[in-house]
Amino acid sequence: MPSLKEVRNRIVSVGSTMQITSAMKMVSAAKLKRAQDAITQMRPFAEKLQEILSNVSSSLDNSENAYARNAGGKNILIIPISSNRGLAGAFNANIVKRTWSLIKNDFNGCHVTVLPIGKKVQDAFKRTDFIISGQDLPSNLNELFDGLSFAKTSPVAEKIMEAFATKQFDKVILVYNQFKNAAVQITMTEQFLPIVPPTSGKSTSTDYIYEPGKEFIVNDLIPRSLKTQFYKALLDSNASEHGARMTAMHKATDNAKEMLRDLKITYNKARQATITKEILEIVGGAEALNG
Amino acid sequence: MKIEIITPDKKLFEGNVKSATFPGSEGSFGLLNNHASMIATLKAGEIELIEDSNNTLKFPVKGGVVEVLKNKVIVLAE
Repeated sequence: MPSLKEVRNRIVSVGSTMQITSAMKMVSAAKLKRAQDAITQMRPFAEKLQEILSNVSSSLDNSENAYARNAGGKNILIIPISSNRGLAGAFNANIVKRTWSLIKNDFNGCHVTVLPIGKKVQDAFKRTDFIISGQDLPSNLNELFDGLSFAKTSPVAEKIMEAFATKQFDKVILVYNQFKNAAVQITMTEQFLPIVPPTSGKSTSTDYIYEPGKEFIVNDLIPRSLKTQFYKALLDSNASEHGARMTAMHKATDNAKEMLRDLKITYNKARQATITKEILEIVGGAEALNG
Repeated sequence: MKIEIITPDKKLFEGNVKSATFPGSEGSFGLLNNHASMIATLKAGEIELIEDSNNTLKFPVKGGVVEVLKNKVIVLAE
């Protein structure tokens, strides 16, 4: 039986841990709300852009485009997107695991380069041969998440697109957590470049006047849509991070509560035992005097 | 006519306007009511809207695309 003082100390420390985790949960919930709003805000833009693009490009052959080059080469760029901070459950581990499985299975025998976004995944790949070096790409992208905005992400997307267009890479893959809801994140592997030809679904048969010309518009829209895709991946990852942290912290708070209850019982038992012992001693003493 | 200006971060403007002027890739152009369906790209410049109340609004853009369909104008701007 642990001593009273020991148990009391543990109760205090578990209690303060619980306070921290429940505060973190609250903070994440607030941040999640904002991140979710950002996704909702950008969705109409992305959808409309995609609609116009498929509308315009349905009658055009896109294989000429610099971003559609499908050479089937062996230079692969993987962009895993994680968070800068931990304590978010399996959020970051999933990304790292998926990236490793891509390197070892899907792109076995290819020359793989990893461009990490987020401190956690950067730490995971820092000491491997895959980490980006030498290429003309931004290497430190961790501050992207401080005030995530389209203006901030599009130069990065441009750099990546440029590296693809100049044939430094033959394929660019995004690995990120897609936001489903606060409790569920799906680890996604998405081909960023070369572009996946838009599936010509609903093709509105409106006769548009194209100004200046169809080809020009397509060439103007494709980089825009790529930048939007990149931004969307980051937004998704950001919202997922807060969702994952919220769930993780919620669980941690629950666990702390349970632990606290157990500790309270132990404490009371210990207290009871001391009292019983004291009474026994007193009774024993009195008996001795009487006898 | 109805006009919406959308950016990836938020919706900048939504409302009815009398006319709109855009910095098109091949020169500035204006739109009035009942314009034919059109898709056009924009270069860096300013979008100028004249509201029904004759208020003039200006939005600087870095580029974008405009879709006109049945008196509804959607601007995807950056």
